[in-house]
This record gives sequence, structure tokens and C-alpha cells, in this order.
Amino acid sequence: MIVESSDQVARFTLLKRFPVPRNFKVTPESRIEKGRTWPAPPGASRIKTFEVYRYDPERDGNPRIDTFEVDLDDCGPMVLDALIWIKNKVDSTLAFRRSCREGVCGSCAMTLDGTNWLACTRFISDMSKPATIYPLANLPVIKDLVPDTTHLFAQYEMIEPWLHATTPTPEKERLQSPQERSQVDGYYECILCFCCTSGCPSHWWNGDRFLGPAVLLQSWRWLADSRDEAKEKRLDTLEDPFRLYRCHTILNCTRTCPKGLNPGKAIAEIKKMVVEREG
Amino acid sequence: MRSPLARAEGLGSAKGGVKHWWAERVSAVALVPLTVWFLGSVIAHAGGDYDAVITWLKTPLASLAMIVLLLALFHHTALGLQVVIEDYVHSDARFAALIAVRLGCLALASAGIVATLRIVFSP
Repeated sequence: MIVESSDQVARFTLLKRFPVPRNFKVTPESRIEKGRTWPAPPGASRIKTFEVYRYDPERDGNPRIDTFEVDLDDCGPMVLDALIWIKNKVDSTLAFRRSCREGVCGSCAMTLDGTNWLACTRFISDMSKPATIYPLANLPVIKDLVPDTTHLFAQYEMIEPWLHATTPTPEKERLQSPQERSQVDGYYECILCFCCTSGCPSHWWNGDRFLGPAVLLQSWRWLADSRDEAKEKRLDTLEDPFRLYRCHTILNCTRTCPKGLNPGKAIAEIKKMVVEREG
Repeated sequence: MRSPLARAEGLGSAKGGVKHWWAERVSAVALVPLTVWFLGSVIAHAGGDYDAVITWLKTPLASLAMIVLLLALFHHTALGLQVVIEDYVHSDARFAALIAVRLGCLALASAGIVATLRIVFSP
């Protein structure tokens, strides 16, 4: 869903798994096997079951799904709380990224019940039975729920996401009218969790060249900034059959954004700006 | 051994692609009225005999619209199929498939236009 004003809270929209056979086109060493079950502590009354993807590159064997029974009376309300509870009280080898626990750092992005979201802003009560937790799709897994985002950040680095200006630095700040400032609303809030890029089919098939929704939204954030003086260079970098035009407006990105942003619209704005430049 | 940034850069930007994208949109918009016109005309002549259809197609407006429809349709098809091939074909077959699609669409459009002109200029 798209957040239109600051009093709205971003909510996930339910999307069940697309009906393809499990392990379809998955190489044998990546096939997911059944792992072990960790029962709830004795005496627990409110129990929630989590199926969590586990993979340890230092051990032989395929990825596996471990089942954890979490005592909800002993655990916070969010999925991240459940993961921390598991790590503290059940299996300390469970690896996942987390930092701010309030949806502003983008570390704990993962696939919850089949769609990408931040573990810290998803209520356990909104999860299905059993709840499933996988790492972000289409990225190499380093360990358990930790994906390798090196390539995504390299693509981000490529668009030079900082202010480019040849006008000499003024004594104070570079000024912007409130109206000009409002042009980056809906784009500057991106926290680079890569929920969108991980959910983008165009990035699955052509991720080596297509920049993906997160990086393109960030590109638009700088193209829309009135203080920036490098539109020509930025548009030249983007105007490419693969880098920009691999986007086919599938809009998984907009559906999955845990900040309620609209990467699809940002990409459409870039395409419109390129057309405008042509004449 | 290449750095992540070098991998992301690849061969750099083609600094093109907007013409392909824009032509796809424009041909799509053009196809809306043309398809409505074509389907309407086919339905209108549903019960008609051969001569009635030939007479209709010989009118200047019908033959002109038919040729524009063929151009827009097969241009749009070629552009769209090119994108599909670029999306999904990652082997050496891609180059051959792209050429086949281009030439195939050109052949189909030419065949349609020649047929229309033959009807128009037939006695």
C-alpha cells in the first residue's frame, strides 16, 4: 500500500505464494530440506510456530527449515522480537540482521509469509499459521536470514547518490523553496532495505544490468532535487534498455514497500523525464 | 576478481532505449482506435459475401486504415517480442531470436500491405 500522509501506517497486503512447484529450477545443493523442531518451553500457554530458513555455509548440507515454537507471553509483539527471543533463548546460532527495531534502518528486511517486509514492523499476530521466515529472495545467502547485498549497493554506488553541483558552495546552505522541497517527498524516505528489488521479477531475470526499483527510486530522489545540477549525467547513466527500461511496471515493488513508498511511480517519472529531454 | 562496482557498471550505459520505449507506447495508443475500427468493420461485414468485403476494402479510408493498422500492429509486435526475448533468453540464441522476430514481423507486415494494395488496384 502507498502511504499518502504521515498519520497513515504502512500495512502489508496479503499475497499468497504463486502456485509453482516447490524447488522449481532450484539447483540440488540449494533445495530446502526439513530441519529440526524446537519445542516451546514447558508451561508455555500461548504458542506461535515459526518456520525459519536456516543455512550455514561452514557446515555441509542443504538449507533447511527449522520449526520454532515461541512463547508469546515471554516475547514482544513483533516478528523481530520473536527472532531475538529465539536467538536468546533457543538457538543462539540463528543469524539475522537487525539494528533500529523501529523501521528506519532497513536491516531486518526478510520474506515473511511469502512477501518482503521488515521483521520489526510486522506484528506476530498478522502472521499466518505457521509463520514462515525466509531471507530476501534472489540474493546469495551468507548465513540463515542474512543475504549478500554487495551487488545492490554497488548498483546504488553507480548512480552517485549525493548532491552534484558546480555552483560554488554558498556560505550557508543551498536554498530550496518549500514547494521544491516537497518534490522529494515520498522518495527521500527510502531506507534501502531492498524489499522491492528482491521482489522484482525483472531484477530476478536481469539483475546484473537492471538497476532495480530501490536504486531507481534513489535516482529519482536526486533527479527531483532542485539543488542538483547533474541531470544530464544522471539521465545518461540511466537511459539504457536494461538499466531503466527493464522495468515493465509489474509493481511488486510498490506492493511490498514497508515504508509505503511508490518505486513504480518514481521509475515512471524517470521515463517521463527522459522523454521530455528528447523533445 | 572484478570489483562489485565494475560488475554493476558492466559495459556502461547504452544512452538509448527511450525511442524503443516511446515507439511501443505510441503504437499501443494508435492500436486502440485501429483495432476498434477493424473489429467493428469485420462484424459489420459478418454476413456479407466476398464482393462486399472487397468493395469495402477498396474504399480509400478502409484501405488506408488497414495499411496503418498493419504497420502499427507489426511494429508493436516486434518491439514487444524484442523485450520478451531480452528478458528471458540469456543464451547465444538471443541474437538469432531477435533477428528472426524482426524479419518475421517485417515479412508479415509486408505480406499484409501487398495483399491490401493488390485488392485496391485490382480491376
